[in-house]
Amino acid sequence: MKQSKIGAWIAFIIGTLYFIVPLIGTFEFSLRMKRDEYSFEAYRVVLTDPNFLASFGYSVLMALITIVIGAILVVPTAYWIQLRLPKLRPIVEFITLLPLVMPAIIIVFGYLRLYNSSSWIPLTANARSTDLLLSFSYVTLALPYMYRAVETGMRSIDVRTLTEAGEILGASMMTILFKVIFPNVRVAILSGAFLTFAIVIGEFTMASLLNRPAFGPYLQLIGANRAYEPSALAIIAFLVTWGCMGIINLVGNMKSNKRMA
Amino acid sequence: MTKLDLATALRRALLTTTAMGSAAAVLLNTVAASAQAESLADLEAAAKKEGQLTVIALPHDWCGYGAVIDGFKAKYGLTVNELNPDAGSGDEIEAIKANKGNTGPQAPDVIDVGLSFGPSAKAEGLLMPYKVSTWDSIPADAKDADGHWYGDYYGVLAFEVNSDIIKESPKDWADLQKPEFKNAVALAGDPRTANQAIQGVYAAGVASGAKDAKATGEAGLKFFAELNKNGNFVPVTGKAASLAQGATPVVIRWDYNALADRDTLNGNPKVDVVVPATGVVAGVYVQAISAFAPHPNAAKLWMEYLYSDEGQLAWLKGYCHPIRFNDLAAKGKIPQALLDKLPPAEGYKKAVFPSLEDQSAGKEVIAKQWDSVVGASVTN
Amino acid sequence: MTAIDTTPPLPAEPGPVPEAYAASRKPLVGQQAWAWIGITPFLIFSILFLIVPTLYLVIGAFQDADGHFTLQNIADIFTPSILNAYWLSIKVSLASALLGALLGFFLAYAVVLGGLPAWLRPTLMTFSGVASNFAGVPLAFAFLATLGRMGLVTVLLRDLFGINLYATGFNLLSFWGLTLTYLYFQVPLMVLILTPALDGLKKEWREASEILGASNKQYWTMVALPVLFPSVLGSTLLLFANSFGAIATAYALTGSSLNIVTILLYAQIRGDVLHNQNLGYALALGMILITGLSNGTYIWLRSRAERWMR
Repeated sequence: MKQSKIGAWIAFIIGTLYFIVPLIGTFEFSLRMKRDEYSFEAYRVVLTDPNFLASFGYSVLMALITIVIGAILVVPTAYWIQLRLPKLRPIVEFITLLPLVMPAIIIVFGYLRLYNSSSWIPLTANARSTDLLLSFSYVTLALPYMYRAVETGMRSIDVRTLTEAGEILGASMMTILFKVIFPNVRVAILSGAFLTFAIVIGEFTMASLLNRPAFGPYLQLIGANRAYEPSALAIIAFLVTWGCMGIINLVGNMKSNKRMA
Repeated sequence: MTKLDLATALRRALLTTTAMGSAAAVLLNTVAASAQAESLADLEAAAKKEGQLTVIALPHDWCGYGAVIDGFKAKYGLTVNELNPDAGSGDEIEAIKANKGNTGPQAPDVIDVGLSFGPSAKAEGLLMPYKVSTWDSIPADAKDADGHWYGDYYGVLAFEVNSDIIKESPKDWADLQKPEFKNAVALAGDPRTANQAIQGVYAAGVASGAKDAKATGEAGLKFFAELNKNGNFVPVTGKAASLAQGATPVVIRWDYNALADRDTLNGNPKVDVVVPATGVVAGVYVQAISAFAPHPNAAKLWMEYLYSDEGQLAWLKGYCHPIRFNDLAAKGKIPQALLDKLPPAEGYKKAVFPSLEDQSAGKEVIAKQWDSVVGASVTN
Repeated sequence: MTAIDTTPPLPAEPGPVPEAYAASRKPLVGQQAWAWIGITPFLIFSILFLIVPTLYLVIGAFQDADGHFTLQNIADIFTPSILNAYWLSIKVSLASALLGALLGFFLAYAVVLGGLPAWLRPTLMTFSGVASNFAGVPLAFAFLATLGRMGLVTVLLRDLFGINLYATGFNLLSFWGLTLTYLYFQVPLMVLILTPALDGLKKEWREASEILGASNKQYWTMVALPVLFPSVLGSTLLLFANSFGAIATAYALTGSSLNIVTILLYAQIRGDVLHNQNLGYALALGMILITGLSNGTYIWLRSRAERWMR
């Protein structure tokens, strides 16, 4: 059917303008570090800092771990709720909304009280276990977005028929879950992954109070009382995060293309 | 500024605190005795064995803390874990409470909080007493007699002006109401949340000549209500970036923050820091060691460092007036070059140091009534 | 139960299984158990890392500074300024959620079904990922640098076109200015969540409706929108809660002038001035209750919408 594309183009162009113009405003300001001329001085200051790569790399690693843990937690849950436990749906949805309204600082102080080195799960005892605690806190923060994305995706596939087909063909539960369901909600998981990635890269409060060398605290340290560097940092962080997401997108789509071939 | 003026001002302001402190001191004699400074060499050895120190809420550009921390690391070779430089005094107290029993690097060893948080933290049993070797040169009214908390530095509220946009800097509070400052004046935070902002409102009240703290708070609110009505007040949090961008060309901030901004901005834009002619309010911050500090010896060593001449002058380099300023000046230890970089001393002569009671009374009025008196007009 | 099912066939559209049908299926003994085992990791995780910290908050709301039980904090909430703060927060959240949902829907539609070049979709998806978290001080500053009184666009409009933006009554530092700023992360969130649902709109339905002679409008009002409605509703709820809990952007942009409840919370728990922890916990408890209420409303609306599917 011939559809007018005008509407779509108008929506897209207005959207693009709305999103790009504030970024241009930030970029323009970041170029003003040297008086009366446009220069990349602010960028030079930021990029020559050795901590930039170190903290960004750490956060990228944490983000990937968080995405994996989040997906493994959320997808089966959404699946089982949809298939067998619809009565639990309101409760689970309410739980997943909690991180949005609980201030992150209350959550992290709660963790410190519960899981510090002299409690029953001493997660702050050493650096690795603190990293684990930090990734759990990131999973918690990203939970609303991951859950909503996966649940929406799962709604749009016929879970029951897929499961039945798998059962008829003699597949075990694990096989159905990982070889049938996961690939079919791939797009939704990717959406959730993007949201999680962005959250982890920019997150500050938890990393800072758990004393881990993440990108958020680094941004804060550099940008706290400066004028031009924060804008340069915002642009750099934006571009680099966007690039990483592009890579995640490619990898995510690659897997599915391989299977279909 | 003569040492006599400053000492008199402090004494006049913090009289009641001393009275309470001395009474408690009699009862807690044993505790006070154990808080004596140990020999520095022993302390250094013990601290090095602990190997690290955890601090919180110390932005690098605040009082030159970046240089202070680097100096400490270079001198003693300890690792310094810097938690949450963005934290407020409330966060620091909460961090101590939440980390009870935690020996990891998330538990703060030392805190740097607003004056009113010292006694309240002591009352909650969160602090470990300690008296540095230079204890006696700290003015009596700026410390707890038992050594639980002690003043570290102070500054006064000043106007930070973007001289590229504002051609003629305001000289006093009344100037801010003039039409030249339309959409120009901002506080450095929300008066219900940030100490810096609420002291700014209080200072406006002091300029109006009010007598007691409550009246001063109300006068300050009236000033800002008028500022808002004239369209001069910008409700954005004033920072170096918003000053440079032009959204907030005049920011009311601690002088040390304003001067640090002037340095970082490095002429782009040109910044003028003005101590107002009337209504000069000083704010004291206090240091304390956490009662649950995982590295108590490193914490004590840190205190020794901060209150040594070296540490105190490092703060002065960051434009904060260290608490031992008079002592150092009397001994001639302050380089003239450092003094020249500060605003003229006359501005500080009239500085008012609100006592703890004044502060709470003023905060009560300002924080509770800010919305109804000032903010409510910005509706939609 | 015979091998041939005489109960009504499964509806072709996705959605929850009607109760009557589910009950009549062959009872597979292990299946319920599997389901509970399946969600156990999630439940354990939630309890350890979400519920228990929340309980701290809930208990703290009913304590005073010394740890004794008190209802004073709850009573303190019912003062006009705090109630106004809640109401203002709800208004801002509703405005940004509804607008964000609408604009996000159109943008997602444009890119998924609008016939635009294929490479635009992954670009928009990845960009939305970044933009959805672009909040707080950087976002507030970006808008100040663009639409503030000395902002790039304001100055350009004035110098190039002679239009004085602020003379038209526009003010970035206001309710609508804040909503406009919030849209920057609300719209991408909507786009990301809704795209998989739009993917699920089968082409066959469009073709079938055309064959049956339905107009574009009829297709949308009778087929597509009802199918999408639960997902759109769920996403709007997420946007609402997202905006309700947002603090950093508001504080940086309109901090001392717009009295929203997250700033009050911030002032009590983290501030240098007021510092009444327990009142802060009570405020947070109120926020949780409001979120619960909106969740309940969403569930009610969704069950009504799904009724036609039974």
